[in-house]
Amino acid sequence: MTIQDSPAAATTHVMQVRGMSMSYGTGAAFNPILQDLDLDVVAGEFVSIVGPSGVGKTTLLRCLSGLLTPQAGTITVSGDEVHGPHPDLAVVFQDYSRSLMPWMTTRENVAFPLQGKGLGKAERNALADENLAAVGLAGQGDKYPWEMSGGMQQRVAIARALAYQAKVLLMDEPFASVDAQTRFDLEDLVLKLQHELGVTILLVTHDIDEALYLADKVVVIAEKPATVVDVIETGFGEDRDQLATKADPRFAEARARIMHRLKKD
Amino acid sequence: MNPTLSRPAWLLLARLGAVALILALWQTVVSAGLLPSMVPGIADVASAIVTSLSNPLFWGALGRTLLAALAGWMIATVVGVVLGLLIGSIRFLDRSTSILIDFGRSFPVLALMPVVIMLLGSTTTMEIVVVALSALWPVLVQTIYGARRQEAAVADTVAVFRIPAGLRFRRVLLPGAMPFIATGVRISSAISILVAVGVEVISQAPGIGRQITLMQQNQQWDVAFAYLFFTGLVGWGIAVGLQKIEDKLLTWKRQMND
Ligand SMILES: Nc1ncnc2c1ncn2[C@@H]1O[C@H](COP(=O)(O)OP(=O)(O)OP(=O)(O)O)[C@@H](O)[C@H]1O
Ligand SMILES: [Mg+2]
Repeated sequence: MTIQDSPAAATTHVMQVRGMSMSYGTGAAFNPILQDLDLDVVAGEFVSIVGPSGVGKTTLLRCLSGLLTPQAGTITVSGDEVHGPHPDLAVVFQDYSRSLMPWMTTRENVAFPLQGKGLGKAERNALADENLAAVGLAGQGDKYPWEMSGGMQQRVAIARALAYQAKVLLMDEPFASVDAQTRFDLEDLVLKLQHELGVTILLVTHDIDEALYLADKVVVIAEKPATVVDVIETGFGEDRDQLATKADPRFAEARARIMHRLKKD
Repeated sequence: MNPTLSRPAWLLLARLGAVALILALWQTVVSAGLLPSMVPGIADVASAIVTSLSNPLFWGALGRTLLAALAGWMIATVVGVVLGLLIGSIRFLDRSTSILIDFGRSFPVLALMPVVIMLLGSTTTMEIVVVALSALWPVLVQTIYGARRQEAAVADTVAVFRIPAGLRFRRVLLPGAMPFIATGVRISSAISILVAVGVEVISQAPGIGRQITLMQQNQQWDVAFAYLFFTGLVGWGIAVGLQKIEDKLLTWKRQMND
């Protein structure tokens, strides 16, 4: 992969990772997961990180979000070195239904992080309703998460991350546990929101088609311990369509390249 | 069986039947002279219950006992919930206090009464202290369980969105542990009344427990039994009321388990 180290490039990078390594356990149980990993995310970009099951995608995302501290390397977000959750980051967890609090209505769930930011009640609720509407849940603020389908709960989790007004959204296999049609709807929703709001998205998935369809840039991680084995600029532009984009010859070519990359190990 | 009766109606009938059976058994045993003559028959107790209803002395004593039980119970609840959330959510505290808590929960507080009486006298304050010390443990232990069992995804969410400690305590830890807390609080309510009455019997601090002892000393066994009946009734009423509140407050828990 290419690494731009000039100061001018660094300012447009909302997130940079250099030489990051992470392992679990010590002694006989020592289990290296990530090795010397580099990553650049430009503001406004949609980056997919794709890798096989168990390669360490969740571990990587937890390091980026400041929930885990890597053993080596640096992570910078908006120019700050990360040593814990950064205010410019929000996360949509894979386990979205458990990450919503069942004792809060959807509005309260979305507004809750804003209370931590010190916003007043009226402002919080207005932002919550606005973002629930943005994800297609207008008027559903008084419902509880457990009154909703999995796809709707995932929309609430997305609304919560959006309302937090982070610069970067980290998503861990966000659509892995919903049916195919809901998944396509959610993918298109996320693309639409990204273009409307100009937010930067870093999405982790094991699904090559999903990674390609959504991203401006696909980062392929593989091997054990995992490292970046390929970076592909998709170049599909803003207008994407589940049928047309996936029928694009460049799509097939990129997919073949990624499959080849992942098979080689 | 009557097919027109609904299930709750059957349940009610069955419960009334059980009560009637116990009463009948009692009356039979008393009439047969199997028990010492001081044990009153049902009719005597029933008439004593009716007379007590218009006895201001009785109401005053019962009120005192309930107030002391309530005060001790509330102290136990507040202290138990706050301490429990802290201990259950901070691993270091949890580890370092576990022996202390296992010891405390099985400590017979009533056996300590002579010391407490020496310190505070046979007063309502003493009674409240003993009630609080006894009722604390179920709340504390249950709250610790509840706080320990926070969902990992919830903990991650709280960390990522940088929720401040106080807010996390009130809006995440407390409601998350609430199903466990509710159980502890309900157990403690029963303990509070039992201990309050017991303390009054032992220490002769004013209240229904002391009245029960006095009536027994006066050979007014029917009145003593009537007072015991009221004490049981109050405990039962509180348990039912708390269960109702709990059901309302924890709808989300029930819904999630479906
Ligand atoms: N807390 C932990 N302690 C020890 N080992 C862990 C821990 N979490 C993950 N691992 C191990 O690290 C490796 C990578 O796990 P990780 O969850 O990051 O992979 P993943 O790519 O997200 O997998 P999946 O596609 O199944 O979600 C696995 O072998 C896993 O067993
Ligand atoms: Mg994972």
